[in-house]
Amino acid sequence: MTLGLWLERIGRTLRERLYGLFYGLGYFFNVLKESILFFKRRQVGFRVLVMQILFTGYEALRISAVLALAIGVAINLIGSSLLAGFGQGKLMYTLLIIVITRELGPLLTAFIVIARSGTAIATELGGMVVAHEIEAYVAVGVNPITYLAAPRVLGVVISMMVLTVYFNVFGLFGSFAVMQLLKPVAFQEYMKNLVEVLTVGDLLLGLVKSLVFGVIISVVSTYRGFAVERSTTEVPVAGIRAVGTSFILCIVADAALTAVLYLG
Amino acid sequence: MGDEPIIELRGVGAHRGGFQILREVSFGLAEGATTVFMGGAGSGKSSLLKAAAGIVVPDEGAVLFRGKDLAKMSRAEELEFHRRSGFVFQDAALWANQSLFDNLALPLRLHEHGLSAAEVARAVARVAELVGYSDELKARPSELSTGERRLIGLARALVLDPELLLMDEPAAYLDETSAERVFEIIASLGARRRSVAIVSGSSDIAHRFADSLGVLKAGRLLAFGSYAEAVRWDDPAIRVVTGRLRARKAPVSGDAALSAWADALTGSLGDGAPSAAAPAPARPPDAEARERGKAAAPPEPTDSGGSDQGGRAADTDEEGR
Repeated sequence: MTLGLWLERIGRTLRERLYGLFYGLGYFFNVLKESILFFKRRQVGFRVLVMQILFTGYEALRISAVLALAIGVAINLIGSSLLAGFGQGKLMYTLLIIVITRELGPLLTAFIVIARSGTAIATELGGMVVAHEIEAYVAVGVNPITYLAAPRVLGVVISMMVLTVYFNVFGLFGSFAVMQLLKPVAFQEYMKNLVEVLTVGDLLLGLVKSLVFGVIISVVSTYRGFAVERSTTEVPVAGIRAVGTSFILCIVADAALTAVLYLG
Repeated sequence: MGDEPIIELRGVGAHRGGFQILREVSFGLAEGATTVFMGGAGSGKSSLLKAAAGIVVPDEGAVLFRGKDLAKMSRAEELEFHRRSGFVFQDAALWANQSLFDNLALPLRLHEHGLSAAEVARAVARVAELVGYSDELKARPSELSTGERRLIGLARALVLDPELLLMDEPAAYLDETSAERVFEIIASLGARRRSVAIVSGSSDIAHRFADSLGVLKAGRLLAFGSYAEAVRWDDPAIRVVTGRLRARKAPVSGDAALSAWADALTGSLGDGAPSAAAPAPARPPDAEARERGKAAAPPEPTDSGGSDQGGRAADTDEEGR
């Protein structure tokens, strides 16, 4: 292959990547705008929003509770043996707040939502594209972003925030439960110690993270779903890509937000 | 409105999945005429229809509805365009997670805000009856046969009594009775001077309904003209598609009962709906249809073939989208 052909290929790939990037950014801002204006629009999918909250939030409560309890137990078991060795048993509460409220709560909740709702959204929308249902919406004058993407974004964001709070509560409760086995503490004292080390910043950071993760998961999943073109074999691929991209972006965003807090 | 086409494509080109699906397509659909587009599989017939409906956004050129570029329409104008046009998909494209009733009611709820729930229900029942669907509307599309789904798809496109109806293979997957019902509806639309564009591989449909005819190959419009002209086209590349067309002996006519029904439906949609209260004019005789067709007709295709011989000059809109 000649140098000219190589250069042409590199140029074409670069152009396609740049086009994809700007297209993705355009999609992101369009979805964000429609989500913000959701309740002002006449042709809005309230039913889609309610169903999304039910599926992403309500139906994920059980798995979220189990995971949070297990994490709370694990942190308590590891922390109590490790910190006691340094005579810093009291730091257990700080550790719980940092790990559960700031870090693992939002991140693990995001993972649950990616695995359940990210794949579901991408494959559902992908299936609708293949069945020409999206085109049918356009044909009657329905904006698919307003009607299909915006309620899903709002549903996932609301669910993410509620699930994160729920995860925190169950994580801290799991820790309390295991304490009753190792070194019993009165519930009031446990809560008092937690509240002493808990700051508004901890709560806010957890909520900001859950909001950012919710936006990432929903926008990526709807984008991947709409990106399906014609074949049913593209639908599962869209689901897989939605999961992969969401995981990476959530982890990167988590690191960036944590860095802003600690270095800023 | 004069001779302004109801819908016009000017130098439209489009890509999908790395392939060029439309190339420099230019033509205009005359108001009140029925136009049939023919071509082999993969010739770009459906894409052309979707471009005309604003579903496929062209990479080049422009689509104009009553002289207004779809790409430059405000949201309100866009909604109005979709209220005045209907699209029948080849595979019905019903919304699987909604009942048949909701599939039919959504366009009404979207565009006719003044209608009560009872009026929506009445309009839905009427349009279902029109297409000959008499079963339960609470069912989901997956519970229907392909033919039944197609009838509901047609009903969804008709529910707002559109001025422009775009139909992708309207008789595909239908049994003879249902297909005949669809043909009666097409004839009735023609009698009521609704503009209809049909994509079909069937020369029978073209023979029965076409005032104008277009032939596509590899995304390019090879020829576009009146039916009478189409019968005489002798370019081999075009004759492959139109070879079975034959001259008409008598004009087609609409179904009076269907026209009456459609007027009733229009009446129930209130003032916002396009007026159909006037008596349905008789289907113009072939000569008149020919006259109308010529308004947007291109020069006769030459033996050279292959080049764009659309009815209008390739007035490409360089702005693109």
